[in-house]
Order: sequence, then structure tokens, then C-alpha cells
Amino acid sequence: MALNLVHRHVLDDHISGFETGKNPNHLSVARRPVIFSVLALQGRDGDVGAALSSVAGFSVRCSGPGEWLIVSDTIGPEAAAGALAAIDGATFADQSDGKVLMALYGPSARKILAKCVAVDLHRDVFAKGYSASMLCCQVASNVMRTMDDQFEIILPRSYAGFVFETMMEMGREYALTAGFASP
Amino acid sequence: MASLITCPHCGVRPKEEFSIRGAAGPVRPSPSARQEVWHAYAYVRDNPKGRYQEYWHHAGGCRRWLVVDRDNVTHAVFAVIDATEWHKTAGSRI
Ligand SMILES: [Zn+2]
Repeated sequence: MALNLVHRHVLDDHISGFETGKNPNHLSVARRPVIFSVLALQGRDGDVGAALSSVAGFSVRCSGPGEWLIVSDTIGPEAAAGALAAIDGATFADQSDGKVLMALYGPSARKILAKCVAVDLHRDVFAKGYSASMLCCQVASNVMRTMDDQFEIILPRSYAGFVFETMMEMGREYALTAGFASP
Repeated sequence: MASLITCPHCGVRPKEEFSIRGAAGPVRPSPSARQEVWHAYAYVRDNPKGRYQEYWHHAGGCRRWLVVDRDNVTHAVFAVIDATEWHKTAGSRI
């Protein structure tokens, strides 16, 4: 018997039926993100951190001392695993299926996100390129400022529906729309 | 309760991101220590009023174990350090 495995995103049921037009404030969910977690061996934090940021196509997010999340739009999971295996002193695991990646952007992105996290998001403190782990809608997430008015949030798949609904509620006064990112 | 904790790795964070895991003062006995010593370590704890040191786990952030030196009467926080640093200096406290 042929078995057809259809890929369904955990937020499919939350997003389908939404209006398709994007407003200036938009929450964009990546359909098939490539996300790896990386841990440095003891005492190797500096080497591994430097090696990670030198890999083209990797977006590196800090999730703690000697701990990172790697996101890539351009490299497939096998190639990313190969690049990570070549880094001495690093251990890694593919988290692509266990995490959800979404980007919140628009002129009110900071105001919306400020209602979800208890961290100062001012651009002098939380500058472009800065990332950290924090509670977002009460769920342990990783938040990165990718642009002045854009943030990327990585959260556990099992909580994605809850965070998504909460964030949409927080964004309602700013006419926040949502949809899957076009590949 | 002190409501803002300055994590040495993450910066100022709300207390909701942490879980408090008890006094950092007691030193874990050796595995071969007598049963009374282990009993005292596991069950007989002080309930101090004033300044003391506690393990806080930054569960919602960097997931590191920290030691928070604080006063549970005035809510003042004197220091927050990584638990590894705390254990490096353990000898000087005993
Ligand atoms: Zn922390």
C-alpha cells in the first residue's frame, strides 16, 4: 500500500481562512524552516561562535552561553548538518521539525512584540542583529531583531498555536495580519 | 519578591522567567558520607530571614543555573552570578 505523507504545518489550521492581503503589520510564518541547535564543548565557546558566524548562509542566534540556534533560508538541512559537523568542538541537533519560525514586521512590530515579552526592545538596547532567549507569550522562545522594524521568533512547535493566537490578539489594534511566507 | 533579576548572560529579566531552586549555601556531601549527613543536607534546611543566597534557574532564558544573593525582607538584590562562578569560589566561603 502506498503511503503518502503530506507535510502539514502546525499552524495550518490557525492560518487557513485568514484574509490573504497583507497589512503593513504582518506576521509571516515560515513553512519549512531549517533550524539547528548547537552546543559548544566546554571551553570552546569562542571558537565555535566564530566558526558559526563565518559560515555563509547561516543566521546565528544566541540562546545562552555556548549555545546557539542556526537558521538558514538558503542551505538545506543536509548541507547545514555537513557544515556543522565540520566545526571542531561543536555538537548539534536538527530542530527543524520541533520549532516554528515566524517573522513579525511592520511599523508597529516593536509595540506588538513589547506586549508579548518583558524585555526592553529599544533599538539602543535590542539592536539589529541582537538575539536572546526569553519568554514570549509565556513560552520560552528565541527572539532576534533582524531589521529595525522586524523580529524573528523561534518557538517550540507544541506551543506555536497558543503563541500565534496571543500575538494576533496583541496585534489586533494595529491591524496585524498573518500568513505563510511565500517560498 | 525581587521582581527584576539581572542575569549575567541575558541582562535584566522579570522573575517569571526563573524558577527558584533553594539555598545555595549547603555543600553537597560526598557520596560516601554518613546517612545522617545526607539527611541533614536533603531535609534539614534553614528558613532564613534577611540576606541569603539561592539557586535560580533561568528557565525562560539562557537556561543557566544562577546564584542570586538577595535579601528576602527588603527585596534588595546584591549580586547575580553563574553557578559555575559560585562553585569556583566555594572553598573561600567554608
Ligand atoms: Zn539568563
